[in-house]
Amino acid sequence: MSDGAVATTIFAVFMAGAVALGLAAVRGRGKQGGLAEWSVGGRSLGAVFIWVLMAGEGYTSFSYLGAAGWGYNYGAPVLYVVAYMSCGYAVGYVVGPMLWAYARRHGLVSISDMVAHRYGRPWLGAGVALLVTVFLLPYIQLQITGMGVVVSTISYGAISLNWAYFIGFAVTTGFVVVSGLRGSAWVSVLKDVLVIGTLAFLVVYVPLHYFDGYGDFLDRVVREKSDWLTLPGSGGSRYGEAWFATTSLLNALTVVIFPTTVAGYLGARSADGLRRNAIWLPAYNVLLFVPMLLGMAALFVVPGLVGAESNLALFKLVVDSLPAWGVGVIGVAAALSSIVPMAVFMLVIGTMWGSSVLSLLPRWRGPRRQKLASQAVVVVAGALALVLTYAAPNTLVRLSLISYEGMAQLVPMLLIGLVWRKLTLAGAVSGLVVGVGIVCALVFSDHDPVFGVNAGIVALAVNLAVALGVSYAGPAGRRDERPDAEVLARDPLGAEGEDGADGADGEGERGVRAAAGP
Amino acid sequence: MIVRRSPRRPHLLWLLVPFVLYLGVLPLVNRVRPVVFGVPFLFFWLLVATLLTPLCVWLAHRGDRRIEGGRPGSRS
Repeated sequence: MSDGAVATTIFAVFMAGAVALGLAAVRGRGKQGGLAEWSVGGRSLGAVFIWVLMAGEGYTSFSYLGAAGWGYNYGAPVLYVVAYMSCGYAVGYVVGPMLWAYARRHGLVSISDMVAHRYGRPWLGAGVALLVTVFLLPYIQLQITGMGVVVSTISYGAISLNWAYFIGFAVTTGFVVVSGLRGSAWVSVLKDVLVIGTLAFLVVYVPLHYFDGYGDFLDRVVREKSDWLTLPGSGGSRYGEAWFATTSLLNALTVVIFPTTVAGYLGARSADGLRRNAIWLPAYNVLLFVPMLLGMAALFVVPGLVGAESNLALFKLVVDSLPAWGVGVIGVAAALSSIVPMAVFMLVIGTMWGSSVLSLLPRWRGPRRQKLASQAVVVVAGALALVLTYAAPNTLVRLSLISYEGMAQLVPMLLIGLVWRKLTLAGAVSGLVVGVGIVCALVFSDHDPVFGVNAGIVALAVNLAVALGVSYAGPAGRRDERPDAEVLARDPLGAEGEDGADGADGEGERGVRAAAGP
Repeated sequence: MIVRRSPRRPHLLWLLVPFVLYLGVLPLVNRVRPVVFGVPFLFFWLLVATLLTPLCVWLAHRGDRRIEGGRPGSRS
């Protein structure tokens, strides 16, 4: 068999296996459960599943392609990914259990739901769902294109780019529509085994194959490429210390409300499970050093890659140095790194539409219909991203530039709103509008970083100032008669057993746990 | 309604340590030398920070466990 046939066969077997595994996850759970079972795994996933799922979401196709490409082009700045993920997990230690408890108490399944509940305005939930959809679609496309590039490379060109895009969409939709978050968690297990295995292998193999071991490799890097080893990195990059610190800070705050992270939180069985998880998740970040290191190794082996080609820095090494079956396995690991996050992105969009947008229409309000509508939205969202990938790839690429910094603007409305009653609807909305406006203005006029600082953090500061200012000085709006305990979120650790109402709540929780089995 | 104050959790300050390690001291560690075991210093430092982060979160969690343990009938 030719190299292409070997690698393609391995790839095909694993893709079929991934779909089967995803579907097997909900065997016997078939029709029961409704939206919460599908969207957040019935809030019953154990610590191990939550760990692999959340690690899986963090380790996307960017880690293989973009991280290696940045490592190749600039060097050190790419380590901001490690910095923000670690800091983000520390923030998540507090925020995760808080959101978990809030959602569980009020039966919510997404951040748009939470916002609607907090401010008592269903239309606000719908608005947030629309905004988040705009920010997430580019991520789906990034995963589709990332997977396409990987698949066509590792199949030695046997699978064309266009087919590879379609395969990515088809495999993901194939399981997520039926099995939701639980299926994604199961596929994540397969993915993690392959990712950890292949990266551990590569980090040992590449320096031995191309250099005289680590000593020699590092020595040459220090001697010949020292530009790459500090901020701002090589090639007149704009990514200095101030950019590194502000971007990591902004992303660490954003990652905890990122809808896919929140889906992981809500899927957990217990608050303490999330806290334990926050201890072990940062350990996964050690793996992020590997593609960056390999990207720098590629500087010596395949010099002169420019533009989008540099994203393939890692795969050029792989194809160059390994037999076809090895290339196939590493390709599968990278493909699954696109598929798992893509599945959760699509799931989250579907969930938000089902729970916050379509639920505004009376005839879509029943639990069965809500789930059905959500599943339909998943297919539509995925198909839309796929069609845009073929028809107008640059639209979404441009949008993706504002995705993370735009999502960050939801932090005051959601996080501050959930702990501080005085933040008014008018304040939260005006802050969000101003913040998103500033992000768009700065990013699209090519002013990111602005004065060496992440543009999103500038927008967030203004957003916060406007939100506070309007809350104090602006219109009070309709009076919300609900008690604080109904509107605000509290850390379950501080809140449990405080008063009579909570006692009753604890009963309910135990009841759910008993029903779910040990 | 009896509103009791939430327990104090000063141990949560441990969660700020990763921010100091990764971001706060950046101007001091943004350098190639000294090279530690062949690894340029910035990379070495960030690797150390990555290994220390789980420890910091663990210390925060240890404090929370004491609070949980102090309340009767709550094991989860």
